[in-house]
Amino acid sequence: MSNMCDKEQLVSYLYDDLGDADRARFETHLRSCPVCREELNALRGVRADLISWTPPQPDFGFRVVREPKVLPMPTRSWRAWYTPAAGLAAAAVLVLAAAASIARVEIHRGPDGITVRTGWSASASPENARSFAESSQAQAAPAAAPAQSVDPALLASLDRRLALLEASARDNSSAAVRAASVSARASDAELLRRVREMLAQSETKQQGQLALRIAQVIRDFDAQRVADLTNIQKGMRTIGSRVDEEAAGHRELTALILSSPKQK
Amino acid sequence: MASTDEELVTRSQGGDLDSFNQLVMRWERPIYALAYRTIGREEDARDVCQETFLRAFRALKGFKGQAKFSSWLYRITLNLCRDWIRRERRQPIAQAPEGVDLVDLASEQTPAETIEDLVARKEISQAVARIMAGLPEEQRTAILLKEYHGLTFQEIADMLDCPLSTVKTRLYQGLSVLRRQLDREGVGRNHV
Repeated sequence: MSNMCDKEQLVSYLYDDLGDADRARFETHLRSCPVCREELNALRGVRADLISWTPPQPDFGFRVVREPKVLPMPTRSWRAWYTPAAGLAAAAVLVLAAAASIARVEIHRGPDGITVRTGWSASASPENARSFAESSQAQAAPAAAPAQSVDPALLASLDRRLALLEASARDNSSAAVRAASVSARASDAELLRRVREMLAQSETKQQGQLALRIAQVIRDFDAQRVADLTNIQKGMRTIGSRVDEEAAGHRELTALILSSPKQK
Repeated sequence: MASTDEELVTRSQGGDLDSFNQLVMRWERPIYALAYRTIGREEDARDVCQETFLRAFRALKGFKGQAKFSSWLYRITLNLCRDWIRRERRQPIAQAPEGVDLVDLASEQTPAETIEDLVARKEISQAVARIMAGLPEEQRTAILLKEYHGLTFQEIADMLDCPLSTVKTRLYQGLSVLRRQLDREGVGRNHV
């Protein structure tokens, strides 16, 4: 073995990784060194043996896919959630809201639970009417006053107007009629203004309630959709695992069938 | 004409999933083969293969192209395999089937190969797998990357973060162990 028996050179030569000059020099060495020659041939044989080691060939099916995005509620525009189902739900809410406004539905949550009451039932009996007026007076905070509450001053004004009309009908005197007419025109204008104010307040409140109810329906609808998607994904995973199990069973069965003639 | 890895990587970095999946299809077999030959278990190798691509996908924005994309994937794979071996606290497993099943072998027979050649090849394959599993990790890795994946010495040195001469030494030591073991077991081309 000479000084040229450099194992790094040997490995480089084995993998054809030497420059022209180095290769020529090493080949000169090989001609005069049987040890390196024998080792080189043996390592070439090992490399040939390594080729025989092949990995199995599984069925690859792995791909990267993008997850469906669930946008957070506050950032969604109305176009994003406007689907036929959402439209139907919104329409249902509108109908309910309209019915509620006509029926003057009141919903109270108290110590006895939730109470639903309509304006029709409230005016059905004098007792209900009284309690309704009392409750209206009790909730006389200006900002939160319900649109359905009756202003006592307005009631008094209406009473006066009615009394005047009755008086004019009874007396049928021209002086009384003129006085009543003048008074009535003034009070009519005032009444009209007040009624318009009440209508505007009622309309604003109903719009707010309607918006709240629509938002609630949308939230419920989206929550249900997310839950349904989750269930579908779980189902798909379950199906996938069952298919894998069945495939494993089939493989075992195939192996058994193939091995049975050998056992015989 | 097929896109290069670099082109596909650039498009993937721009959010093109199809391009990334082309890279997956192109490299899944070599990556699986490296994982399988390193840890020796089919199912675990498949898991490592998938995890390699998931990690690559997540870290793709940070890939600046200093190394080849394939070298980057190999490095991720080897790290995952190292984690697996450490976690399992055991040597890689050589999956050697019991005996030689002629029915199984028949499906692997190449047209020019006699059944005797086929049996011999199977025996050599099993012996190589068993001896490789017993090699020190650094020798085994050097052999795998050079023999089965065709990396240059310099690429292996960069990947393993060691000098070029160290790579050659590890390779020489690993091949020498293989040679001695195969001789001892009486299998291999040197005994034909």
